[in-house]
Amino acid sequence: MFYLGLISFAASMLAMLVALILTIFQLFKRRTILTSSIITLASVSFGLHTLSVLTLMAMQVLQDYSISYVVSVVNSVMPTILKMTAIWGGQAGSLFFWGWTLNLVLFISLHVRRQIQDGWSFLFTALNLLFFGAISLFAENPFSRVWLLESGDILEGVFSPAAGASVYGGISGFGLNPLLRHWGMVIHPPILYLGFALFLVPFSVAVSYLIRGESGEGLLGETRLWLLFAWVLLTAGIVLGSWWSYDVLGWGGYWAWDPVETASLIPWFTSTGLLHSLLLQKQRNIFKRFNFVLILLTYILIIFSILITRAGLLNSVHAFGESNISLPLMLLTLTLFVVSVALLVWRWKHLQSGWELTSLVTRDAAFLYTNVILIALTIVCFYGLAYPLITGVFTGTQIGLDRTFFDQAAVPLFILLAALMAVCPLSAWTVNSVRQLGKTAVIPLVLSILLTIVSFFLLTKSWLALIVLFVVAFGLLLMLALSLRDCKSPREAGKRWWAQRARHGAWFVHAGVLLIALGIVGMEGLAGSIQGTMIPGDKMPLRSYHVEFVQLTTEYENPEYMTIEAELALWKDGKVVDRLYPGQHLYEDRGQYVSIPDKQSTLRGDFYTLLLDYSSMMGYVTIQASDNPLVNFMWIGAILMVLGAALAASLPWKSLQLDYVDEKDQELQHS
Amino acid sequence: MKKTNRKTIIAVLVIAVALTALLIATTRSSTQYFLTVSELQSGETDMTGRNVRMSGVVLGETIVYDAKTLDLTFEVAQIPGDHKVIKEMGGMAVVLEEAAADPTLPRITIHYNGVKPDLLKHEAQAIVSGSLDANGIFQAKELLLKCPSKYESALPNQAGN
Repeated sequence: MFYLGLISFAASMLAMLVALILTIFQLFKRRTILTSSIITLASVSFGLHTLSVLTLMAMQVLQDYSISYVVSVVNSVMPTILKMTAIWGGQAGSLFFWGWTLNLVLFISLHVRRQIQDGWSFLFTALNLLFFGAISLFAENPFSRVWLLESGDILEGVFSPAAGASVYGGISGFGLNPLLRHWGMVIHPPILYLGFALFLVPFSVAVSYLIRGESGEGLLGETRLWLLFAWVLLTAGIVLGSWWSYDVLGWGGYWAWDPVETASLIPWFTSTGLLHSLLLQKQRNIFKRFNFVLILLTYILIIFSILITRAGLLNSVHAFGESNISLPLMLLTLTLFVVSVALLVWRWKHLQSGWELTSLVTRDAAFLYTNVILIALTIVCFYGLAYPLITGVFTGTQIGLDRTFFDQAAVPLFILLAALMAVCPLSAWTVNSVRQLGKTAVIPLVLSILLTIVSFFLLTKSWLALIVLFVVAFGLLLMLALSLRDCKSPREAGKRWWAQRARHGAWFVHAGVLLIALGIVGMEGLAGSIQGTMIPGDKMPLRSYHVEFVQLTTEYENPEYMTIEAELALWKDGKVVDRLYPGQHLYEDRGQYVSIPDKQSTLRGDFYTLLLDYSSMMGYVTIQASDNPLVNFMWIGAILMVLGAALAASLPWKSLQLDYVDEKDQELQHS
Repeated sequence: MKKTNRKTIIAVLVIAVALTALLIATTRSSTQYFLTVSELQSGETDMTGRNVRMSGVVLGETIVYDAKTLDLTFEVAQIPGDHKVIKEMGGMAVVLEEAAADPTLPRITIHYNGVKPDLLKHEAQAIVSGSLDANGIFQAKELLLKCPSKYESALPNQAGN
């Protein structure tokens, strides 16, 4: 199995290398079309790469403890699904898997109906892929074995490190850290990786456009779907990480401005900006340069994010510890940056586009404001991340910024962004229709002011929370009002709604973001908690609830861990409404425990309980209970965002123009 | 064309100035010094009350936790802050093991109020943010833990306020 995995991986990289060399020959002959032999070689490379990934997974499931990676992430008691997904549980495996996602993306781009790769873009895609392949082969090889030397020492290495050494296979491994043995581990990393990887194709295509000196009209149509899908997966990946953090205490809450979290958010800002300015280029033929900058920048920031995660430069929840690969990754980031800047400078004049804003209230202007804020957020977050690195170089001691920096600098920008999203449906392509639309806004405005006043008396006195509540209420009500207005003739409405699905998809996404903002207000402004030590029969009050401790149970059935659980009865209005079982899992082999919260989840919010401490002998437990109102709107909002983007993606690029005309017609009819 | 150009430049300038002002203002209020235990205690500059982030190795026997009040105190011992030094000494796992066993190294008491992190145990690396009080006790507002072992990459645990 070892040979199958290693050889198929090496052969896969070799096939890709040959494809790359053939492409370079073609390019020397000034032929930019990919020959069928190049495509075949690349496909073979993907097939072999897939085989090697499956082999490593099989070795994990079959517990081949002669492979040092398997020893580090698998043990005999882990469930099979976690044994498989442990492939992205450690440094070597996850880099190997990342390389494979790049190959997958390349494979897709070569075989979809509208193949978008040409010689130049293939060159760049393959180079990126081979870079990570080389790291896996030469620096962090997941197929590295454990060797027993004659001296009795144990060493790691792909091949025998000394004469007389023999492969050493133990009977069990260390296994994944208990904090990683969770559903989040199964889905969060691959979705995020795929989202990251999909941006490679637009990047390569943009580079190819710049090299060939094409003006970039076609770029939009060719890459839009790629960008949309990449964006959807990136969004889903980030939110799934947040959900996992919320679901397991150990990760520090749904969002902590951890360097790796922040690093994955930065390309989200730039790609979100890109989705907006792409439309502007389509409608008004402006922002062409800006779009090129954003496509290139997004991929560079993704590589930077990988650098932050892998290099261990910053203390982070996700960091993989010290590593030898920070230098090559830094070089890759720098190279991509220099190449991009050089190409842009070279073709800058060529990319000239018109520049006219008809008014400060039209949709063009709204898009412009959106992108200004997104760029500002990019700068703020990048600055916050890079600050300790820069001060470290210049002053010797690292001076960093704590999370209050992000709270203070980024939150006002987020609120501005939410406000723009709320009024976005009011903006139209011409000043006249803006006036027309303004009338529809009156009722939502009055209602949301009333709601805010009610919230002031009933919910919160925090002006920050009230502002966000107002913005969210106004935005959602406005979209509702405009949708209702469109529904006056129900027979037509459905058809028109479908014809304009790109716009309604965007509304879904915006509504999703506003709902996430609502969830954040719930967590940051409206949550309350209490902790107390109880013996069976004791009750503890929290808001309109009472938590009663019923009993403490211990269970030994799971081979992985021992479970200690507190049974709690949740009382409301004099009766038991739910039973909750917060507990701890004790992993004896590691001397580590993991707290497992239990919660009652409803649309109103979560009632979240944690077992902090217990004594089986004395029979008491210490429980922390929190009331987290509105939190589930975060996850609902995220689902809405993904659906909205999918809806928008279902409209072909060519038809987007029609949407614009339709809309104008419709506005004329109304006025 | 010229006129729009000038307008654009003014708009960009205004935004740039506003953003810079925002960054400067927030940087000042959230600056944090990354120090080691001995740097904090050396007294070269009095760091009392300043916002500090510090890393040290947890001494398991010193952990005292009151689950009723969520008061958590423990001691950490000095470990080097420089990646290169740590590498030369044989990696983080070795450094942590040796530092925890060496009674001659400077130590400091940490106080933290909050849920005890799952990974808080002997030889874990604690990264604390907070400030030194007048009694020489480090009042942590944030507590982050990492437990590197020989094979497994560092995996941390975080609890924040």
